[in-house]
Amino acid sequence: MIKALFSVVILLLTLSPAVQAETLSQALDKIPVQDAGRVKPFGTFARETLQLIYGRQDFEGKSASEVIFTWMLIPDQWLNMPLVELRHGGLKEALKISSTEKRFSPQSLLTNERIPLVIQELSTIRNRQEKLNPYFQAVSRLENQLAMFQAVRAGMAIRILPVQDSDTWKGVNELEGEPQAAFAKVTKAFVDSIALADNKSGTLKARPELTAAVQEFVEVARQQAPEKYAEDGKIKWELHLNSFHPFKVAAYAYLIGLILLISFQVSGRSWTYSSAYVFLIVGILLQAYGMGIRVYLTGRPPVSNMYETVIWVPWACVLFGVMMERLQGNRLVLMAAAGVAVFCLILADMAPTVLDASIHPLEPVLRSTFWLTTHVLIILLGYSAFFLALALGDVLLYMYLKDEQKYAQQIQQGSNSIYRSLQIGVVLLTAGTILGGVWADYSWGRFWGWDPKETWALICILGYLALLHGRLVGWVKNFELAAGSVIAFSLVVMAWYGVNFALGAGLHTYGFGAGGVEYVSGFVIAHILYVAYVSTVRYGRLKKPN
Amino acid sequence: MIRGRWRFFASLKLAVFTIVALGVISAVGTFTEARFNDAMVAQRLVYHSVWMYLILGSLIVNLVAVMIDRWPWRQHHTAFISAHIGIIILLFGSWVTKQYGIDGSMAFEIGETGKHVTVNEREFSVIASLDGTTFNTIFDDQVEFLVNSPTEKKPYVVNLGSERLEVIDYYHFAFRETEIRPSDVEGDGPAVRFQLENPNVNMTEWLRRDRTKAEAQVNLGPARVVFARSEPQPTGMNEIFLIVPDGAKKMTYVIFNKDRTVRKRGTVKESDTIETGWMGLKFRILRFLPHARENVSYVKTQAATPAASSALKFRFRDKEYWLGLNSAQRLYLEDKVYFISYGNRRIELSFPLKLNKFTVGTYQGTMKAASYESEVDVPGRGNVLISMNEPLYHEGFTFYQASFERNEKGEAVVSVLSVNHDPGRWLKYLGSLLIVLGSILLFYFRRVRFLDLLTKGNPK
Repeated sequence: MIKALFSVVILLLTLSPAVQAETLSQALDKIPVQDAGRVKPFGTFARETLQLIYGRQDFEGKSASEVIFTWMLIPDQWLNMPLVELRHGGLKEALKISSTEKRFSPQSLLTNERIPLVIQELSTIRNRQEKLNPYFQAVSRLENQLAMFQAVRAGMAIRILPVQDSDTWKGVNELEGEPQAAFAKVTKAFVDSIALADNKSGTLKARPELTAAVQEFVEVARQQAPEKYAEDGKIKWELHLNSFHPFKVAAYAYLIGLILLISFQVSGRSWTYSSAYVFLIVGILLQAYGMGIRVYLTGRPPVSNMYETVIWVPWACVLFGVMMERLQGNRLVLMAAAGVAVFCLILADMAPTVLDASIHPLEPVLRSTFWLTTHVLIILLGYSAFFLALALGDVLLYMYLKDEQKYAQQIQQGSNSIYRSLQIGVVLLTAGTILGGVWADYSWGRFWGWDPKETWALICILGYLALLHGRLVGWVKNFELAAGSVIAFSLVVMAWYGVNFALGAGLHTYGFGAGGVEYVSGFVIAHILYVAYVSTVRYGRLKKPN
Repeated sequence: MIRGRWRFFASLKLAVFTIVALGVISAVGTFTEARFNDAMVAQRLVYHSVWMYLILGSLIVNLVAVMIDRWPWRQHHTAFISAHIGIIILLFGSWVTKQYGIDGSMAFEIGETGKHVTVNEREFSVIASLDGTTFNTIFDDQVEFLVNSPTEKKPYVVNLGSERLEVIDYYHFAFRETEIRPSDVEGDGPAVRFQLENPNVNMTEWLRRDRTKAEAQVNLGPARVVFARSEPQPTGMNEIFLIVPDGAKKMTYVIFNKDRTVRKRGTVKESDTIETGWMGLKFRILRFLPHARENVSYVKTQAATPAASSALKFRFRDKEYWLGLNSAQRLYLEDKVYFISYGNRRIELSFPLKLNKFTVGTYQGTMKAASYESEVDVPGRGNVLISMNEPLYHEGFTFYQASFERNEKGEAVVSVLSVNHDPGRWLKYLGSLLIVLGSILLFYFRRVRFLDLLTKGNPK
């Protein structure tokens, strides 16, 4: 236990940033910018812009803020850099550009004669209001990338000055008078910081003049329209969220917990178990902290896009795990829960294009937060319980594969936990789906409209109900329960991800996205194959008793 | 309680089979919706198909039978009875809604008074008029052509006196295409095809004027083009008027400036070019037909898009006509006129609603809608605000803010409300409550109890 606490302290110490002078990007990050319907720190704007155009949040070790800022100051330097990410093979072919390159210079694309043609095709499709296939999604992204590049280059996209009698802030290109003078100081100090740096490689430091100039500009901008200007608190917290990565840190905590739990399974040393517990708690707290910040920034529950659900589900999963471990005394549950948490959080961190972490404005119908909170949160709690059952099922199947007799007791315990998880999941998913019906009835007058999202929630409920009813009469024994909980999770994957990303139909359009279909299908198929393999091996063993 | 093979209806085998079947058919429904990009098609073809009703029927039989089988009920049956009765009540409530409920929409412009709710069901009707002032509905039928598509071999037949009108083809999703052709019929109005061109702009348009209308017009952005019977008044835009009296073979033109002054006037004929003087725009007459007719045809498409609509083809007196959804075709006979119409059924409300105001709130610095709300005048209640998630309840109907439409200038002028009357609502809520209660109660009863009661009910 002491060792465990000690390691937590070490972990926290290594995480807290040492007090040091601001870096170049830290200085710039603080400037509030109006973009995509909200006010955000320049740091966030720069990362989102670079992500859109370049496909990453940093450029060859340079921070996004630095890149976007120089891009505006000296655009010509960037025109011939391979900056615009373009992956779609068909589109590259249509543009007659190299099929092996992943990124192209803005100059080469802006002068490509075929681009106006493909954009013309796209607008034809748009006029007919047809669904975009992957090719046209790529064209649409390219169109956005080039438009954004030009808008940043011209300073239009960087809207930093609130205006008294308009909703739209002024861009860098429109500044006049005092704000323009103040901004000129920022650019000069920025250029000096680069030019006068002792060591030009590595992270550049901001000169004190830059920090002061930014502060001055912010004050000048605030005076223009104080009530429309950003709240300092929100800007500060958003920058903290960007730099601290609470979910990533939580993922590490869970990972250490998971490793300790596995070593407990193998060695049986009790200190590994108790210290694992501590790490899981740390993970839960870190995640709660991160979600709390997001709730403060967005003013809504943390479940309004796919990214946030992939954060929420593992959190609930670990909470369920801890509760069930306390109530049932089954230690396997913790391991399963930690596994889910590590998996989801790494996923959330690794796939920024599919799981978009940026904060977007909501569709009007979602702005009634009470109903959004209740129905989505409860449904996701249901998914968490099923996810836990899946992980337990995976572990149990492994035990069946290794030695059914040796693990008999753990299998029995694990099965009880799976059964309980499924029960909890069915109750929560049913309640959540019905509440979704209540919301739909309240907002549209339609309790049930066979919308694909709600229909797949129903299919999930039915799948798990079939399993639970089969269990009642003994058709589904421990092995079938473990296998069933793994297979049935495919239905959850379809309801959670598939409807929005693969099927792309129905009223829950505000949650639509693209990408990752091959990986998610891989996840589902791998699990089905795993179940098939273990079943075959086990069936073979049972047939010829030795 | 239940003996012999009747026990099958109370069996878990049937229960699991029904559950799985329900899951599978629902999944098929979602794929159908994605395939056609249309929720109504999935409803018609899957969710309200015979198969669905068979499965739901078997579910209800199973639920009722298993509850009879467990009679007399004991305290530990509470959860099981509650959940199962809940499902039955929920399904019954859904049936009541389907049978007696109204689910439609209402679109009106600012200042307009609306009284009709458009629903999804469609009807085919024939209205006759002997004198052009009195109209008589002589045929009216609710039709479902998606599932029972009429064909040449199996037409949908309407008997009009001694004559037959036959619907011989139907496309659920089709694009409307029109073609303007010269006609010899003296009663057909004129048509003109023109081009407006400069180095940046190149637009070609047809304008056809019906004999009954004084003018036809199109706004091309740089200028409004009006094809009129006699010279109209300028409206204060850049305007080009083409004037052809009915039956005339010659055309005159007038070009007006924004300040309503005449820029140019003269006569013009086919293949003439007029310099407008606006941004180097040239106005060219490509074709002029003193009598023209519009040939409408439909091209079938596989999935819904907002530009596609349904269309049917009917035959009357050996002539074939295409008729799009929510449109009508006039048939002039010797002594009367028939109006053949095909469209969504409209239900008349007992009270009118007037749209006083409609506002769209946007997210700062964008065109993205953050909220929208309608102010409507409700008889006896005055001005009431309807916004997203805040509906209006009035005389058994609920009005929800659903969406809006913009005019050419981008201003939001039409509010779309969804209108709902649902007598099954309380049943669905009651059923839902029982289901949730039942499944929560399950935690209070041990699994053993269930095994116990199930085996007791099914002695070996």
